[in-house]
Amino acid sequence: MKQSGRHNSWLLWVALVAAILTRSYRENELKILVCMKQVPQKDAPLKLNETANWIREDVSYEVNEPDAYALEEALRQKEKHGGEVAVITSGPARAQQVLREALAKGADRAIHLEDSAFVGLDALSTARVFAAAIKGEQFDLIFTGLQSDDFGFAQTGVILAELLGWPHATIIMQIEKTETGIRVKRELEAGYFQYVDMPLPAVLTIQSGINKLRYATLIGIKQAKNKPLRKVALAEVQPAISGNLQKIERLYVPQKTKNTEFLEGSAGEVAKKLVDKLRNEARVI
Amino acid sequence: MPDTILVVAEQREGKLNRVSWETVTAGQALASQTGWTLEAAVVGSGISGIASEVASRKAAKVYAVESPKLEPYTPDAFAFALKQLIESKQPKLVLMPHTYQVRDFVPKLATAMGRTVISDCVGYKKEGDKLVFTRQMFQGKLAADVSFGCEPPWFVTFQNGAFRGDKVETGAAAARVETVNVEIGDGVIRNRPQEVFKEAKQAVDLTQAEIIVSVGRGIKEQKNIELARQLAEALGGEIAASRPICDSGWLPMDRQIGSSGQTVAPKLYLALGISGAIQHIVGMKGARTIIAVNKDSEAPIFEIADYAVVGNLFDIVPPLIEEVRKAKATG
Amino acid sequence: MLVFRKPLEGIERPQMPADVIIVGGGAAGMACALRLSQLIDAYNANNPDSQLSKENIYVLEKAREIGQHCLSGALLDPRSIRELIPDFEKEAPIEATVSKEAVYFLTVKSKLKFPVTPPPLRDHGNYVISLNRFVKWLGEKVEAAGITVFTGFAGSELLYGGAANGNRVMGVRTDDKGVDKHNEKKSNFEPGYDLKAKVIILAEGSRGSLTKQLILRFKLDADRNPQTYGQGVKELWEVPAGRIAPGEVIYTMGWPLTSREYGGAWIYGGKDNIVSLGFVTALEYADPRIDPQHVLQEFKKHPFVSALLKGGKMVRYGAKSMPYGGWWSLPSLGGDGWMIVGDSAGFLNSARLKGIHLAIKSGMLAAETAFEALKSGDSSAATLGQFQRNVESSWIKDELWKVRNFHQAFTHGLWPGLLHAGLQQFTGGRGIRNRYPSAPGYTHMKKLAELPADGGAEAPLLGPAKGDARLTFDKLTDLYHSGTKHEEDQPAHLVIQNTDVCNSRCIKEFGSPCQNFCPANVYEMVDDTTEPNGKRISLNPSNCVHCKACDIADPYQIITWVPPEGGGGPNYDGM
Repeated sequence: MKQSGRHNSWLLWVALVAAILTRSYRENELKILVCMKQVPQKDAPLKLNETANWIREDVSYEVNEPDAYALEEALRQKEKHGGEVAVITSGPARAQQVLREALAKGADRAIHLEDSAFVGLDALSTARVFAAAIKGEQFDLIFTGLQSDDFGFAQTGVILAELLGWPHATIIMQIEKTETGIRVKRELEAGYFQYVDMPLPAVLTIQSGINKLRYATLIGIKQAKNKPLRKVALAEVQPAISGNLQKIERLYVPQKTKNTEFLEGSAGEVAKKLVDKLRNEARVI
Repeated sequence: MPDTILVVAEQREGKLNRVSWETVTAGQALASQTGWTLEAAVVGSGISGIASEVASRKAAKVYAVESPKLEPYTPDAFAFALKQLIESKQPKLVLMPHTYQVRDFVPKLATAMGRTVISDCVGYKKEGDKLVFTRQMFQGKLAADVSFGCEPPWFVTFQNGAFRGDKVETGAAAARVETVNVEIGDGVIRNRPQEVFKEAKQAVDLTQAEIIVSVGRGIKEQKNIELARQLAEALGGEIAASRPICDSGWLPMDRQIGSSGQTVAPKLYLALGISGAIQHIVGMKGARTIIAVNKDSEAPIFEIADYAVVGNLFDIVPPLIEEVRKAKATG
Repeated sequence: MLVFRKPLEGIERPQMPADVIIVGGGAAGMACALRLSQLIDAYNANNPDSQLSKENIYVLEKAREIGQHCLSGALLDPRSIRELIPDFEKEAPIEATVSKEAVYFLTVKSKLKFPVTPPPLRDHGNYVISLNRFVKWLGEKVEAAGITVFTGFAGSELLYGGAANGNRVMGVRTDDKGVDKHNEKKSNFEPGYDLKAKVIILAEGSRGSLTKQLILRFKLDADRNPQTYGQGVKELWEVPAGRIAPGEVIYTMGWPLTSREYGGAWIYGGKDNIVSLGFVTALEYADPRIDPQHVLQEFKKHPFVSALLKGGKMVRYGAKSMPYGGWWSLPSLGGDGWMIVGDSAGFLNSARLKGIHLAIKSGMLAAETAFEALKSGDSSAATLGQFQRNVESSWIKDELWKVRNFHQAFTHGLWPGLLHAGLQQFTGGRGIRNRYPSAPGYTHMKKLAELPADGGAEAPLLGPAKGDARLTFDKLTDLYHSGTKHEEDQPAHLVIQNTDVCNSRCIKEFGSPCQNFCPANVYEMVDDTTEPNGKRISLNPSNCVHCKACDIADPYQIITWVPPEGGGGPNYDGM
């Protein structure tokens, strides 16, 4: 009788220790959401639509470059600490490609706010619908690229942080997990950097080019087909938005009126003329 | 209360960020066109000196927004402090330079106030009573005129170089400086920033260079790049190249400008011996001033150059270096 | 230092089993996949107890997106697509229905219209399509049908079973990713997969690289005519409204070519004021200085063409080779574990200038044979050889048999060619003998010493075009409009067996024609004082538009084109 009693309490201790270890391991895990955007390909020839307030959508699309780096960073964090990487995007059916590629590279699940109306939303409305779509989720980190290659506002991540009431940091090069949260390396102008300690959960906007992007493998692409992809209709998140606060009045090809001035004379004379232009016109001297 | 424009100048570690002058110039231009009053603000701790510096320019008033918690910079503290200021002073238009720091907090500030920011603008237009702000989209391929669809305050950030900081007007007398002390409670600031430090960058970021001297096939041999390097040095700029030069290994890949390299829009782009193939042009046609030197009078680069020299770069560049050095010594 | 691409050795390669692998997601590959899916669906509906799976049927496509490397004029004879998808007109992207056609003989200033359109060029009932868009649409259907299309993956090597396995084709090795310029692994290196499959179908398009390997290894072209090729250079233009009607089809021959060169132009009116125009020059011309891109630029100067394009804008550029050899040049079509379809085999009707319908039909027939192999479990030559027999008893044979001697007829020039072609019209393709011979195009290339220094009548076609930047363009400007992009840091995929030949012999004998026949400025002779002739071969591999002209036309046959890292290449949107 005594033996089995001791046996039982020994088992109890093992179970307790295991539970603590598992919980602390779980606590070490990171649940990361990566916000991704599909943008027209960088060298796609763009044409204005009839009302000249947007482009014609018959171009090739690709993932916004900084977002690809954000995804890569998230996948690396998951590899280091365990956890989960989810990806989210908004846009018409074609935007699903970005999610598929992310799943193929190793993301665990995807959320697609599917409707072409999402394309016309400004940064604030986009952040609002994302916040609505992830209500109830418990992410530790949300990554966005530092800005998009099409609009280039550089706002969505920061706005999302404010809507969620989370701390944020922008133009991040490096992320390290610490006891109290994370330590990130921020890029500043002119070759300066700064480390910042932050609690979790937090929103980070990620700088481009900070790591080498992995390739999706054939197995990854095959497996991606079976990973969860939740579709969210416009109607579901419509209550969160109330019209854009800014409006593109018109889009146009910037006209540059170039009058090329040819400078003549001997080499010495031309040099002097050039310096004159450098000083008085270009104002670099 | 008259309508006001509030320019938020930027200070970093006790020094005024010179790009703020460009925003003041923008503010002054807008003020004169709209008839609104121009005011400015500086945010930080112990920044009365900087506020006075700003006050030396033509503006009605400068606010020194003070709190010990505003140093070092954090987005939480800055958004908090400016929200208080803006709610109290109620400017119609709030202008800031589009710096890394401003990008870090102004969207938060605007959202907290239920407003929006039109960021990274290169100019503005007044269309009747409406103000419309111009910004580049699709990496400069298209321009957009954007207007506000909400009530003021309207937040706008201007791109580096969109306005001339050296053209800022000085006021007849210094503007009044009003100190605004802000109480920032515990728990507002969540980030703990460490010291700012400089690090040798692995790759050069030509997009940050104001002056670029670029070489093409016309440089003929690798050793001749030294000439271009001297010119770049004299001007205080960076050296870059078209693709064939980098492909040959004469300059590293991160110096390449063009569709398979970097896209730049510096103040000055000096193209030496570059023919101007479209693959290169798309990487630099946004430069403010383009000077091209090429032997071939039909080189396509001349179509986008502001100043063109048809001649042998080996004849032109040495005296040019001399003249630049002379001008810099006397200037 | 040029380092050429080759699969890394001595590394572990991930495996993935497959039932059928279709290498190439163009018209033939996609039609094959779709037909196979239809057959499996029908079978499964009738055999609930023994289902066939589509899980392990794959299409490998080297482009980043389906259709991205597809380029053609193009005119579609709907015969085979109608068999595959009976009411395809309701959903397929069609630019226009052919509304009128004309064939012209051009001289330098004027044009002579053929009073009667030659029967092969009659296009009534055909459609003007963009092959890129058409294949994109087919690809969507293939994916919807449950067959996986892997984009961004190239077939770089065939895997053989070894002597023990009767030397059958066992599978395909995909491209190594993340290999730098010196063939060293980068930090994101991913080895190519070894995909072992029961059936491998090669649908790589004209001058397929795996096809070339296979033909060489098993001498599949024994007792066939050597394959011959044309190089098509195309521009897509947006012109002012009303210049050309949608569905208007124009063919030209004659100027700017002389009677010594074979080739001609097409102009097709599409919708939205888009014009597809291009020039095909057979890669068997004598003067190595001829530049097919230059030929197109010259062609545009003709008053008839420049009037059409005036005020318009060139929106896309591209180039691709096409097989002219016809029936006698088809290799053996099926063997132990393999079949060859589409342009890779050479299913193109050079008289009608159409091959898409034949590509589709050949893909469908191969699918039927592959289906039999899946059912029986046997994919040896015994089963797959049936593909050859099926082709021979199909309308592919009927059609190609009648034009089996067409292209060869022009070996001695335009006028004899037209005579023979005319004769062949009345003799069911026989002409003066059942089988006209052919020789590979590069064997016609003459050395510079044998040609007039100034080029003679061909002078306007020689060397790189300068272009006026409005109507005509230099190669680099044209190339920019092909949207070509590759990972820069990778080994050169134009494998030159011996660069000494380039630097010491070719430069003197032929004047480095690679600079001329390549439509993308990949090849350049740059100054190098250490070389005997002061120049050395230099490559810009990331310019490559995957046309294969170099592999075909190089007079020493020392260039082998292999696929670069998957995902790279041109972007033929709308082409």
